[in-house]
Amino acid sequence: MSAALRRLRARGARSALAATGVLAAGAMLGTAVTVAYGLGTGFDRATQRADAPDLIASFDERSRADVARRVRALPNVESVSYRFEVKDVPIAAGGEVIRSGAVEVVRSGRRGYALLEGRDIAGAPREIVVERGVARELDLGVGDRLDVGRLGAHRVVGISLAPDNVAYPLADAARIYLSSAALARRFGSEPSEANRMLLWVRDSRRLDSTLVQARAVSFGVSDLRFLTRAGVRVLRDEAAGIVIALLVAFSLIATLAAGVMLGALGRADVERRLPAIGVLRAVGLSRAGVAARFALDAVLIALPAAALGIAAGALLARGPTASLLGSINELAPGAALLGPLGGALVALVAIACGASAWPAWRASRRPPVELLRGAELRGAGGRLAARLPAGMGWLGLRMLAGRPLRTAAATAVLTIAAAIVLLLLALASQLTELRDDPGSIGKRYDLAADLGPERAGDVRALAGVDAASVRYSVAAADAFDLGETLRVVAYPGDHTRFEASPLTDGRRVRADGEAEIGAGLADALGVPLGATLAIALESGGEARFRVVGIVAALEDQGRIAYVRPPRVLAADPGAPPEVAVDLARGADRAGVIAALRELGAGPPMSVGGAASDQPGFVSVLAGVLRTVALVNGLVALYALVQVLALTALERRSALALLRAVGGGRGELVRVFGGAAAIRTAAAVPAGALLSALVLGPAVGSLAADYAPLAPRPSAGQVVFVACGSAVMAALAVAIVARRSARAPVAAGLRGVE
Amino acid sequence: MTARRRLDSGPEGLPILGEVPLVTARGLAKSYGTARGARRVLAGADLDVEAGEMVAVLGRSGSGKSTLLHVLAGLDRLEAGRIEVGGVRVDRLREPALTRFRLTGVGLVFQFFHLLPELSGEENVLAPAKMRGATPGAAGRGRELIVRLGLREVAGSLPHLLSGGEQQRFAIARALVNDPPLVLADEPTGNLDAASGTAVLGLLGELTHAGKAVVLITHEREAAQRADRVLELADGRLR
Repeated sequence: MSAALRRLRARGARSALAATGVLAAGAMLGTAVTVAYGLGTGFDRATQRADAPDLIASFDERSRADVARRVRALPNVESVSYRFEVKDVPIAAGGEVIRSGAVEVVRSGRRGYALLEGRDIAGAPREIVVERGVARELDLGVGDRLDVGRLGAHRVVGISLAPDNVAYPLADAARIYLSSAALARRFGSEPSEANRMLLWVRDSRRLDSTLVQARAVSFGVSDLRFLTRAGVRVLRDEAAGIVIALLVAFSLIATLAAGVMLGALGRADVERRLPAIGVLRAVGLSRAGVAARFALDAVLIALPAAALGIAAGALLARGPTASLLGSINELAPGAALLGPLGGALVALVAIACGASAWPAWRASRRPPVELLRGAELRGAGGRLAARLPAGMGWLGLRMLAGRPLRTAAATAVLTIAAAIVLLLLALASQLTELRDDPGSIGKRYDLAADLGPERAGDVRALAGVDAASVRYSVAAADAFDLGETLRVVAYPGDHTRFEASPLTDGRRVRADGEAEIGAGLADALGVPLGATLAIALESGGEARFRVVGIVAALEDQGRIAYVRPPRVLAADPGAPPEVAVDLARGADRAGVIAALRELGAGPPMSVGGAASDQPGFVSVLAGVLRTVALVNGLVALYALVQVLALTALERRSALALLRAVGGGRGELVRVFGGAAAIRTAAAVPAGALLSALVLGPAVGSLAADYAPLAPRPSAGQVVFVACGSAVMAALAVAIVARRSARAPVAAGLRGVE
Repeated sequence: MTARRRLDSGPEGLPILGEVPLVTARGLAKSYGTARGARRVLAGADLDVEAGEMVAVLGRSGSGKSTLLHVLAGLDRLEAGRIEVGGVRVDRLREPALTRFRLTGVGLVFQFFHLLPELSGEENVLAPAKMRGATPGAAGRGRELIVRLGLREVAGSLPHLLSGGEQQRFAIARALVNDPPLVLADEPTGNLDAASGTAVLGLLGELTHAGKAVVLITHEREAAQRADRVLELADGRLR
């Protein structure tokens, strides 16, 4: 050990360089592990700490006694808590007002939320617990004052987290909790109604049957919605799936880049020390002994550097990750992260160790006398290399042919990097499109005006209007399973002129009793083609349709049905009509809106994409994706520079010779250019294919399995990445050629640095 | 610019034999290491070599012979002193001009041949001919040299398939492909059997008949006997 330390001290600068490489790799890995582990396990941590219920039911307010009576009929119930939630209560603190406050009146029993600070509400008047998102938004701490609508000032006694929804402001409502007993003490009575119920079951494996029976005993309960813990997880996974998939991909690139980098460093070290290996072999050290020495040296460098790098990466990522987890009401991993980080440390040290010991093991196979001379002369590249044309650029290619494994690994890194960059760019474009372009969700009209069917003809006659049709859009539930909600859209004629989600099975609607339904609805209800879709409308009326087509609809998560109006209007004569307006190309939008107002319409609604209700969030996400794409490109550049630098180091004698016989920086640029060009030229098309055929569909299915969301890079994006890669390669070549042209020729010929 | 024109002019522009030395080196100084570990390998060495002359430099191992060759070829920088080759101050050249000097002003032959392993023997010879600034007709000259040196049969072979003697002959052909006025050979026979060594020395000797100056670094007395003059490098000086 002490001898190894002396060896490292003797190679001070090189040891520091190797340690820097390991440190950088560790930082990348630490960041990736922290974010991926935090996001991957945050929900479980939060549900466990919050004692989250297995099932949450929300419904129109009704007598708590009535709800309790229905619950008593259910099997497998361990405990139940009732809530009375009042929405749209203005809450204010420090001059800031939130109008969408949701006051949950809590009775005794299990809470379903975790207390992160302070204590729970205990029945004393004017005490309140606020959700962490609300506390953050209003800058509230324990002991601060919060004004709650007409209830007046309250003191915050605790900060909570409930993982059944994302945090405010991502969630619509700012949740706060009041004690029912406190209200009773203050006002003499407490609410006898409930509109939310939290239920814990004894055996979660039998939750499905409990849910079926809960629906059965809910007859007559209006606006009933069930949300299971598994359902919440699915929703979270859909949202976080893309992020996690991208991070896993990013950490894969980071790990691959780190592997290539460490491999390059290890290999370079062995190359430098070939004569020393020759001496060791000459004095009788076994091959295993040589490999063990290199392994020990690598461990001594890698262990502290990797630990430092991983710790730095974890610390860097900890804040943003905790913030992200906080915004979706999940908990940061805390000390639990130490395990995965420890695993990453072991993996990184093992890679560094292997990257050093393996080339030493292989090198020590050569005769000691050859090693003592520096051992460069080899028929590198074999027949393939010999068939390539002569010339400096081709010489670079021939040099690569002598290192097929490394060339493949480096090309793989660049390919994956190109694929991820293309995926990120495609995803960012798709998000923007989903936000702005109604066509992205199959909508082919621009405005919706609240006018009756009798005005449709007048609207069609307006200048700038290409087509107009009356449209009904109503909320409904499956008549057999009231918990399954859907949206019913009705057009009197061919709806595909105005809305045409892609048909995946069957045909379009042709008659009054037929329906096209979204794949999401077909999956949720288990309704195949030819089956009957029975829906209960808000009026209480029921309508039945025969399913003739399945469409890949993105809107309402695919829980949508397209029908003709007569049966909808028969079941609910009060269904509100509107007129869908498709503007002519180049039409004066403002002029048409003014004309619609003159016809008696309220402010016409512009039709947006699927995510048009969260434009800011989508913009931020698209920006983040493009930034990650840029970082990814820089990682690829770094990997390319490292690999070229290794070639320069390994072939320092050859490069010195080129310079000795009259080659200048131009010749070096051509040699390295050839080496970089083949990798880049292979990586971009391979990356485009990987992105379009594998990563895109995988990410698309993570995001939504009910609609074709797979992001595909456009030709423009592929060209952009190809140009970017060419610039990146040129930059890498320029950096390495410049560095090589500055190295002393004589030293290079002697095979030393 | 003057220096560049003179070097570009090829053998025709060389000074007439015996008139002015092709190589003039004065007060060459070069050290390795730092502080107490510093070792001065050249300490005021002087050297003149005329066109058409072969000068052998003898010396113990580590005496600085290779360092002398490296500074003459512009592969390494001097700490002090001056070197003129064909009237050009090599020690003052900046890197681009130095690169041009190495391409057309000097030919190098090494003990370990230093052929690029990815290139065949012929491609190694022609590599300097394809560099920017190569002398006109260099490629044709390279092919002629391959034939003249009896290497045509093995011209397409990769270096590891060649004998030491063949590799060194390819290396000599490469050194001459741009027709430099000065050839510097560093232990050219050190890695060859006796017969191959004799052949290589014969080749170097023939170069002097073509008006080229040859500096032969060696530690073999027999090799040195082929030279017009023999100098010994000791204590950093040439005697």
